[in-house]
Amino acid sequence: MRGNEIVRFENASISLTKTKRRKGAGRGQRLRRFAGETQRTVIPVIQNVSFGVQPGESIALVGGRPLVRTAILRLAAGTLIPDTGTVTTRVPVVPMIGIARSFGRTFTIRQNIFLASGLLGVKPSETANKLDDIVEFTGVASFLDRHLGAAPASTRQKLAWSIAMSIPASTYLVDQTLVVGEREFRQKCWTKVDQLREDGATFIISSDSTKQYRRFCDRALYFVEGSLVADGAVREILALARKARQQSREDEQ
Amino acid sequence: MMVIRDLQRQYTKFRLGYLWSLLEPLGMSLVLWLVFSVLLGERALGLQPYLLFLSVAILPWWWFLKSVNSSTKVFRRMRGQLAFSVLPPQVWILRTVLSSAVEFVLSLPVILLAVALTGFLPGPWIVLFPLGLLLQFLLLYGIGLLVSSVSIVIPDIARIVKIILRAMFYLSPILYSISNIPESVQTIAAFNPLVGILGLYRIGWWPEEHTSTVALIISFSVAAAFLIAGIISFRRLTPRILKEA
Repeated sequence: MRGNEIVRFENASISLTKTKRRKGAGRGQRLRRFAGETQRTVIPVIQNVSFGVQPGESIALVGGRPLVRTAILRLAAGTLIPDTGTVTTRVPVVPMIGIARSFGRTFTIRQNIFLASGLLGVKPSETANKLDDIVEFTGVASFLDRHLGAAPASTRQKLAWSIAMSIPASTYLVDQTLVVGEREFRQKCWTKVDQLREDGATFIISSDSTKQYRRFCDRALYFVEGSLVADGAVREILALARKARQQSREDEQ
Repeated sequence: MMVIRDLQRQYTKFRLGYLWSLLEPLGMSLVLWLVFSVLLGERALGLQPYLLFLSVAILPWWWFLKSVNSSTKVFRRMRGQLAFSVLPPQVWILRTVLSSAVEFVLSLPVILLAVALTGFLPGPWIVLFPLGLLLQFLLLYGIGLLVSSVSIVIPDIARIVKIILRAMFYLSPILYSISNIPESVQTIAAFNPLVGILGLYRIGWWPEEHTSTVALIISFSVAAAFLIAGIISFRRLTPRILKEA
């Protein structure tokens, strides 16, 4: 069964360092802050997580802080290496993690397309072939050679989405939102994602919207404080998560 | 793959205006030339014609300075991109070094200008000029890998590197010629990899710059050591670097 898994987490753990500038009003603190001293706290983000992904599955990451879910995606993408344990990814992946944020405002949209696809491992010649599709999908033809800052704000997200989806990989790692933009664009997103899924593409999705999970995923992983506590069908896991939330709310009262 | 990286680099750098990459080193050479040649008179530091002598070394120095300085902060700048880029992180160092290299090559007309002004033409040894370029490139790549990876663990490295660079400016034969310093010190000076590289740039005009082959070999082995140390430390620290994003 493990033979055809495309992503495999084996007891993976990682801790990340968070730096925070010192706050506080006392004299000693003020001096330290002035000296630029920072507080570094090491957070164990993921603890002993093991799971495997079969080709063609759509997996939802439920629970845990966004930090945890992003870390899982980055581990799967290979842009983060676990401290202990192993993560093996057998197929090329498209990590849709903060692509929109990395666009340069002062670059033209055309340049941004080439840059981002380059970073995702696509050759410029291939990007050139797909340029028309990407532009058409995003609907930015009139802005193509203008700075990204000049285009509507929603363009960022849409552009990132179109670029990622233009890459014919078999696995997509989606952080936060699978579907972006206004209604029309969302409709296009849905059809495209459905089409990709029919073609056998694998998705791992981290999102805050349970609606998206229900629509797109068939399996879910439930995280509590960085450990994997449940693995099952989306419906069950979401019910579990809701129950846990209610429980904690009652505990507070 | 290499092509994409080249493209990215050019896009990111060129918009600052090509003229500046000419004017900056030119201005610097002019100032130093004024001070050391015109004001201090004929007590002759370095070799004649001094303007040309200076600019041949200032330009590579500029490249060195820029590239080392920016490699201390690449990963802080490239945080967002690190999270999703499927390319190996070494690319970012290569990118910094290459983009400043492109700038260096584009600023070469300054040397041509100096040649035109002084009318001092190079001899056959000028063929070693591209070799100097290649060696400097490898050296910078090594230093870049080393500095960028270590500065993730110890952020203070960035400051220390700044001080070292300042010292290097005076410790390398930029204002003066390697033949200006006492012979006993020359061998020690050879441990500075820039000595060998700058020598290669200058040898076309001033064959006397070549003092001893042993010194050159020392210089180049130090450069190679930097490259190897850089590659090893970068590989070791890659998990840490990725965490930074």
